[in-house]
Amino acid sequence: MSSASEPVIRAAGLTKVFRSPDKAPGLSGSLRHLVRPRHTNRAAVNSVDLTIGRGEAVAYVGANGAGKSTTVKLLAGILIPSSGTVRVAGVDPHRDRLVNARQIGVLFGQRSQLWWDLTVRDSLEVLRDLYGVSRTQFTERLDEFDEVLGLGKLLPVVARRLSLGQRMRADLAATFLHGPAIVYLDEPTIGLDIAAKDSVRMFLRQRVAAGTTILMTSHDLRDIEDVCRRLIIIDDGRIIFDGDLGRAKDAYARQRQLSVQVDAPVDLAALRAGLPEAQVEQGASTRELVVVFDRFAHRATEVLDALTRQVDVVDFRLQEPQIEDVVRRVYRGELLVLPPQGVDA
Amino acid sequence: MRPYLALARASARSVLTYRLTFVFSMFGLIFQLLALLAIWHAVIGAGQVNGLTWPQMKSYLLVAFSCGALVSLYTDFGMAARIQSGMVAVDLTRPIDYQKARLAETVGGVWIELLVAALGWCGVITLLGTIFWPDPVHLLLFVLSLAAVVPLKFLVVYITGLACFWTQNYLGINWARVAVVNLLSGALIPLSFLPSWFGTVAEYLPFAGITSTPALILAGDLHGLAAVRGLLLQVVWALLLWLLARATWATAVRQLTVHGG
Repeated sequence: MSSASEPVIRAAGLTKVFRSPDKAPGLSGSLRHLVRPRHTNRAAVNSVDLTIGRGEAVAYVGANGAGKSTTVKLLAGILIPSSGTVRVAGVDPHRDRLVNARQIGVLFGQRSQLWWDLTVRDSLEVLRDLYGVSRTQFTERLDEFDEVLGLGKLLPVVARRLSLGQRMRADLAATFLHGPAIVYLDEPTIGLDIAAKDSVRMFLRQRVAAGTTILMTSHDLRDIEDVCRRLIIIDDGRIIFDGDLGRAKDAYARQRQLSVQVDAPVDLAALRAGLPEAQVEQGASTRELVVVFDRFAHRATEVLDALTRQVDVVDFRLQEPQIEDVVRRVYRGELLVLPPQGVDA
Repeated sequence: MRPYLALARASARSVLTYRLTFVFSMFGLIFQLLALLAIWHAVIGAGQVNGLTWPQMKSYLLVAFSCGALVSLYTDFGMAARIQSGMVAVDLTRPIDYQKARLAETVGGVWIELLVAALGWCGVITLLGTIFWPDPVHLLLFVLSLAAVVPLKFLVVYITGLACFWTQNYLGINWARVAVVNLLSGALIPLSFLPSWFGTVAEYLPFAGITSTPALILAGDLHGLAAVRGLLLQVVWALLLWLLARATWATAVRQLTVHGG
C-alpha cells in the first residue's frame, strides 16, 4: 500500500531537543540560576525516521508528551529541527516555510485558526485571499464541504460564539480550503461529542478518498480506526511501532469479549470444557458471565451455541477488539517488534 | 499584496469588537492630554517658553496625543499573547511573511485610532480655541511625518513583542518600553526641555520620530530644511528598524517552544 506510492514526507534522524532552565525552588534557587544558569536538554523527538507515501492516512499515536505534536510542528516548518532532515513534497519545511505552507494544511484541535471576532464566512474569505484561492474555487469547495460539515448554518456566526463542535467543523473547512496535498491534524476530535466526532471522521474519510495525505494524532482510537490505515506509535520521542493498522489489530488485538446474562446459575466447569480455548469467568453476579475468546479460534456463534446448550441466554453484548489494546500493550513494551509490512496485508 | 490587504481588512473589522476596550485605554491618553494642557497653559501663559507659544504648544500636545493613540490597539499585547500562548504556531502555518502580516494588521486598525484622535482635536479646538497651523507646505510635511509614525512605532512595538520568545513576562517589557518611548519621543515634554546634550542625542534616536518630529513640524518649530531632515530621519530609522526586526525574528523563531499541544 505505502510501498506502491511515492513518498511525500521523508524524515531521517529527525531530532528536536528542548532546553529548559534547571531552577532550584525559591529565591536562592532563582538567584543561583541568574549567576550560573543550568539547563536540562530533553529530546522531545529523538532520531525519528518516517516515510509517508502520497495519499496515505497515518495515525500518529502516543501518550501525552510523547512527541506527537512536536513531530507535527517539525513537519509543518514551525519548529526547526536540532538535527536530522525533513523533506515534505521536495521542500525543506522550515527553510522554505512559505513554500511549504502552501502545500500543507494544519489543524490544531486546541487552537482555532478562525478570526475570533469575525464571522466564519469572513474568516474563510481571509484565508481564501491568504492562499490565493479563486472565488469560483472557493464557492465550489465550500459547497463540497457543506454536505458533511453543514457549513451553511455556521457561515454567518461570529467564531467566538460557536460551540466546540461547530468550531471544529469550521476549522476543518479552513484547513482544507486551499486544497492542500498534505494535512496534519493534531487531535481533531478533542472534546467533541459523538455526533460532532462522527462528522469530523466522515469528512476526513472523504478527504482521504479524494487523495489527500493525512497524518493525524489522536487519543481517540475510534478516530484512528475510522480514518487511518497505518499506525505509528511514538513513545518518549522515539517511534516504537510502525505498521499496517489492520495487521496490528489481527496480530495483537484478537481478543473478543462476550458478556452474557443468563436466567439461572451456570456450571462453569462444564462450560469451560466445551470452550477449551476461551476464558470463561463469572460476571458481577451468578447470572452474569464473561467469555473472552480469540476471534480466530472461535466464532461468536460457537460460543453462544455452547452457552445456550446449558442455559437460556437473556441478553448478550459482544465487544470487538480495540486498537487501544494494541497501543496499551505496545506501551507496556509487550510488542516491540512487528514483522515488516508484507504484500499479503 | 492580496493576502496582506485581506489581513488589514480583517483587523479593520475586528477592532470594532474592541471599541470599548479601546475607549477605556484612550481615557489614560485623554487625561494625560488634559493634564499636559493645564500644566503648559500655566507655564507659558501669554508669553512663550523655549520658542513655543500657547497655540503652538496646543498643536504639539494634540499631535503627541494622536501619536499615542496610533498603533496602540492591535499589535502590542495581541502579538505578545499569541506568542506566549503558542497561537503563533498557527500564524507560522500561513504562507505569508510574519512581519509584513503584523504590519498589515496594524495598518488595518489605524482608522479607529485616527477617528479617536480626530475627536480629541475637535474637542480641544472647540474648548480651548484655535491651535497653531503652519503653511500648506509644512502641513503636507506634517501629514507625511505623521504617516511615518505608523511603521516606526509599529517596529518598536514589534521588536519588543518579539521578546516574548525569550521571556514569559511581557508586562514588564511593555512598561519599560512605554517609559523609554514616552521620555525619548517627546510625548511627555518636548525634547528641547531635556538637558541639551540629552535632547540632542534623543533627536537622532528613532523614538523622536514617534512624536517629536511630526509635533514640532505642526507647531512650526521644525521648519524648512530641518523639517525635511526630520522626515528623512524617520524614513531611515524605519528602514533600519525593519532590518533589525527581521534579524531579531530570525533569532527569535529558533527559540520557539510551543507548550502544550
